[in-house]
Amino acid sequence: MLKPAFNYISYIETTAEALWDALTSSEFTTRYWFDTSVISDWKVGSPVALVIRGLTTDVGEVLEADRPRRLAYTFHHILNERAMRERPSRVTFVLEPRDNIVKLTVTHEGFADDSVVFDGISKGWPAILSSLKSLLESGKPLVIPFDVLDIAELDETFHA
Amino acid sequence: MSKPEFVYTTYIETSPEKLWQALTDGDFTERYWFGHRVTSDWKVGSSYRFARQRAPSIEGKVLISDPPRRLAYTWDACSPDAKRERTSRVTFDLEPHGTVVKLTVTHDNLDEGGKTLRDISGGWPMVIASLKSMLETGRELPAELHAAVRERSHA
Repeated sequence: MLKPAFNYISYIETTAEALWDALTSSEFTTRYWFDTSVISDWKVGSPVALVIRGLTTDVGEVLEADRPRRLAYTFHHILNERAMRERPSRVTFVLEPRDNIVKLTVTHEGFADDSVVFDGISKGWPAILSSLKSLLESGKPLVIPFDVLDIAELDETFHA
Repeated sequence: MSKPEFVYTTYIETSPEKLWQALTDGDFTERYWFGHRVTSDWKVGSSYRFARQRAPSIEGKVLISDPPRRLAYTWDACSPDAKRERTSRVTFDLEPHGTVVKLTVTHDNLDEGGKTLRDISGGWPMVIASLKSMLETGRELPAELHAAVRERSHA
């Protein structure tokens, strides 16, 4: 693993297919991912865009798409001036089903040591993945105020 | 160099009071903590113990007990291997934000490369996922999950 790296594991009562769809379909992502549409055709080499209410915040390229087991894409923030100068990072989702539970491992790596994007994603992923688990298990995402994340650099961008 | 530390954050739709009860009441821990029942009076300086089918698994002393905001205790695994390691520490921070509570579990003062660090790094995500499911849906994660993962990691 390339340092610094963010690693998060969760266990969700769902199927690997339903979890895959929740990670890759805008219809789902807008519900648990702070209103973010994750847009791609999910073919290896295709572009990925994260769009919040019409504003593209991050772009990338699909690196791996093996439904419903493994998904990886590059991740480059393009709104905040300091963050957009950073090199693209890489996020990988590994889905491992066991009976009616799926173990989800999210690894986000390839950051520079002083990366502001790393700070942002380290605070963002636990909230996004908590809400995703709630949505899949109870049918209802969480209501988490964005300010709670306390992402100093990126906060200005979203609240400008 | 600082000792390794494990931090896990999650957000749960519940109240801090319910979450506090789930962390400190044996009837609740037995459900989501894969059969491990906790007992303590939760006064600072008091001892606490987790036991599964009456066999002690984890024990220690209460360091901070500030309901429903902050709970901390020392952590000694009751297995012979772990007994040789230093006593580590677990802190639970509960912060309410509207309808959700942000729960941060910090486990520190761990031995580099030790058995406890390995066990808790795999264990906390599972226990906290089960706790969140229990509080939000009334259904904890199945005990077989824990057994299956333990078997695999010991293989």
